[in-house]
Amino acid sequence: MVNKRSVLTPALIALVGFLTVCPVVMLIFGSFSTGLGAFGEFTLDKYIQGYTDPELGGIILNTIIFVLGSSFVATGLALLLAYLNTRTDIPFKFMFRIISIIPMMIPHILFSVSWVLLLNPSNGLINLFLRQIPGLENLAINIYSLPGMILVEGLLDLPIAYLILAPAMASFDISLEESSKVCGGSTLRTLFRVTLPVLRPAILAAFILSLVRSLASFAVPSVIGMPGRIYVLATHIYQSIATGFAADFGKAAAIGMSVLATSITLIYVYRYLTSESEKYVTISSRGYRPSVIELKGARYPMFGLVGILSMILIVLPVLVLLYTSMVPYSMIPSAKAFSMMSWKHWIEVINDPISLLSLKNSVFLGVFGATLGVTLSIFVAYVIVKVRSHASGLLESLSFLSFSFPGIVIGVGFMWFFVRTPLYATIWTLLIGYIATYLPYGVRPLTSAFVQVHSHLEESSQVCGAGPFTTMRRIVIPLLIPGIVSGWILMATMFVRELTLSVVLSRPGTEVLAVQIFRFAEDGLWGQLSALGIMMIIISTALVLLATLVGMKFKPVEE
Amino acid sequence: MEIKITNLSKYYYSGGKTIKALDNVSLSIPANRIFTLLGPSGCGKTTLLRCIVGLEAPDTGEIKIGEDTVLSTEENIFVPTENRGLGMVFQTYAIWPHMDVFNNVAYPLQTRKVPKDVIRSKVEKTLRFVQLEGFEDRPATKLSGGQQQRVALARALVAEPKVILFDEPLSNLDAKLREETRKDLRIFLTELQITAIYVTHDRIEALSLSDIVAVMNGGQIVEMGEPRDIYLNSNHRFVADFIGRTNLIEAKVTAQEESVTKVDCAIGSFACRKRADLNPGDNVTLCLRPEFIRLKRGGASEAQNVFNGQIESLVFIGEAFEGEIKIRESQIFIKTEPDSDIRVGDSANFAVDPDHCLLVIR
Repeated sequence: MVNKRSVLTPALIALVGFLTVCPVVMLIFGSFSTGLGAFGEFTLDKYIQGYTDPELGGIILNTIIFVLGSSFVATGLALLLAYLNTRTDIPFKFMFRIISIIPMMIPHILFSVSWVLLLNPSNGLINLFLRQIPGLENLAINIYSLPGMILVEGLLDLPIAYLILAPAMASFDISLEESSKVCGGSTLRTLFRVTLPVLRPAILAAFILSLVRSLASFAVPSVIGMPGRIYVLATHIYQSIATGFAADFGKAAAIGMSVLATSITLIYVYRYLTSESEKYVTISSRGYRPSVIELKGARYPMFGLVGILSMILIVLPVLVLLYTSMVPYSMIPSAKAFSMMSWKHWIEVINDPISLLSLKNSVFLGVFGATLGVTLSIFVAYVIVKVRSHASGLLESLSFLSFSFPGIVIGVGFMWFFVRTPLYATIWTLLIGYIATYLPYGVRPLTSAFVQVHSHLEESSQVCGAGPFTTMRRIVIPLLIPGIVSGWILMATMFVRELTLSVVLSRPGTEVLAVQIFRFAEDGLWGQLSALGIMMIIISTALVLLATLVGMKFKPVEE
Repeated sequence: MEIKITNLSKYYYSGGKTIKALDNVSLSIPANRIFTLLGPSGCGKTTLLRCIVGLEAPDTGEIKIGEDTVLSTEENIFVPTENRGLGMVFQTYAIWPHMDVFNNVAYPLQTRKVPKDVIRSKVEKTLRFVQLEGFEDRPATKLSGGQQQRVALARALVAEPKVILFDEPLSNLDAKLREETRKDLRIFLTELQITAIYVTHDRIEALSLSDIVAVMNGGQIVEMGEPRDIYLNSNHRFVADFIGRTNLIEAKVTAQEESVTKVDCAIGSFACRKRADLNPGDNVTLCLRPEFIRLKRGGASEAQNVFNGQIESLVFIGEAFEGEIKIRESQIFIKTEPDSDIRVGDSANFAVDPDHCLLVIR
């Protein structure tokens, strides 16, 4: 056993290190070299070109406004929702679970597209509807703007901010608030002087994670920003590699370096904060439920707010896409519209070989990639939790590194690497790239699963006469099943909807769903886009259900 | 079943330093008795237990359980835990949360491929024994701490192991439940006539539960014996101090007399229980248990072992007074009858029987 372990740790460090460090190294080399590959002659030209671009100043300003704005929207809304759920008597609390989980099944690009369909200035459904009102004939609410981008990105980052804030809020030690009240503080004063300051690390962590995600976001800037000619760093980098005849990967890498550096810094601040917040927020061992604040008259208005939010986050995008996939062109719902509905767009998609190929590729990547990714995560999590040495600490840092990877930047690094291997332009490039970039999403649920398997549980099985194999089969694996299932669901849904990395790595023959939808959006084929989009949502949902069912089946029901 | 341990050593390496968790330990644990390893945390007691059960691989040594050698570094024998046929109760109980009570308890029989009907009757019998009848279908995590503890005990007993081991099993229970469980456990184990090895840092637990106590410190067994013997006749300063509240006073041997050894110390000169291995001039420690220091009323008729001190503090705890007295520059703990009429500030005479003046090695 001792020998196996000592081989396992270095092997995993080599593998995970290769997956995460290799693209970064390629990116650094590439940004300093001439030509198209990563190993040309040394040059600083790419940096000089990239950073003396007169447009760059405006782009950076846009990026800062977009990233900060959307993070404020996400954290603010998440804070409100978490507070309402954990601390007040708001009705129908199950709604909060739905808000925090379901949006993961709706890909970001589809969410962005649905807002374009609703609010584009020429024929957005809401604009068309409002123009019927006398006096508003010339109204054109424009989603293709910075506020539009901030709103949509903020809503997209809301669930993850909520998932960080809600547990922190729920485990808050109520006696801290009670003592403030005993000292004469009002409810509002207590909220601002005690509750929020104590929760500050969690709030900051949620905010920083939103920053990282909006900085890496490509769906919103490309679908909503580019048509309005509003560029942020992600789309700026995309432009220099995808448009025109001379794609300049070196320049993209040079600019990408600062995005990557910012992102890595933010993620390490985030890690520091989360380890701090574990110290800060004490879980009350006395079994007290935090006292519930009565909303009184505000109870149903507040619930209305939550209801509207969940409509916007879940129901609206799906409905808009479904509707658009059936009508021949953009028109507001009416008797005429419903009479013209047909399966035309659906049939076109099913007969389109590239759409079919992208469907096939994405399902393969989702199922096979997630299975492979979770398998690797099991070993990584095992070493991080159970081996506990300096080497396992290194492995933990390595496996966390890719959490900060902006897909579009790291994609360039991967491309330079794969171009030198026979894997280039095959589906395996995407598979390896996905696993490397999304490894933390598999490792995290599995580390918490391993933490729950106290070593005494295994040892006690050994004392009871069970060998290592029986102990694995009857004790360890059953206890890990929930972690394995949630890791698989996270990875599979991420892989099915993956856009940013794929946009760089996908080649003819390796199209994936999100990229195909992105192409439809560029060409304005909204009907076909919506039909394919609905198929994508169905696939994601089916995978989630499948994994949940398998998890329940394997749950050891012992006679 | 008897357990024989010979020259057992276990080292840990951390930061370039070697820590001796077990330092050449040899001992023999008699069959069908309750044997306790007592010591402060880090003394090696848990490591020793884990070596016996096979969860830890020692660097050198030999362990025999009955006639079977389960470990010998010389002959390269290491019987894996699952083949040693032991039972163990863990500090955390290690109740498997995904199984109900029945499956938790049945597990050792299932791994031994016992027929199903036999399993059912044995589990029922064992659950009845630990007073958990009718709990079979409960999810194990829905039980109270005391009930989980008994499930763990039932699981350790069900396969009728040769030896049962306990790793601080009572430390997660609250004080009242701990006392009850300790009493029940002693009754269970005595009834079963089984060899039990028990690890604890709680001296009262060790004294009240065991037939034999071994006190450990720094990876070694310092002293071993029956609880009363260890308490009253310890030879070592560490043991005397660890096993109960006591006054330890540095002293020098002045003379060896026929029935006593005489010493001088900061609070006077004392006639102590005879220790023939000491010579005049030797440095020793005088050990005075508070409960043996008697309050002397009236004049001093005995010349021996009487000292005068001022009462500095006094706490009434019901069955006794506990207090501190000041004699010259030293402070001495006392424990005296609850009907005494002494008060703080009083000056009083105290006496100790020479047989209760114990000399221990530093």
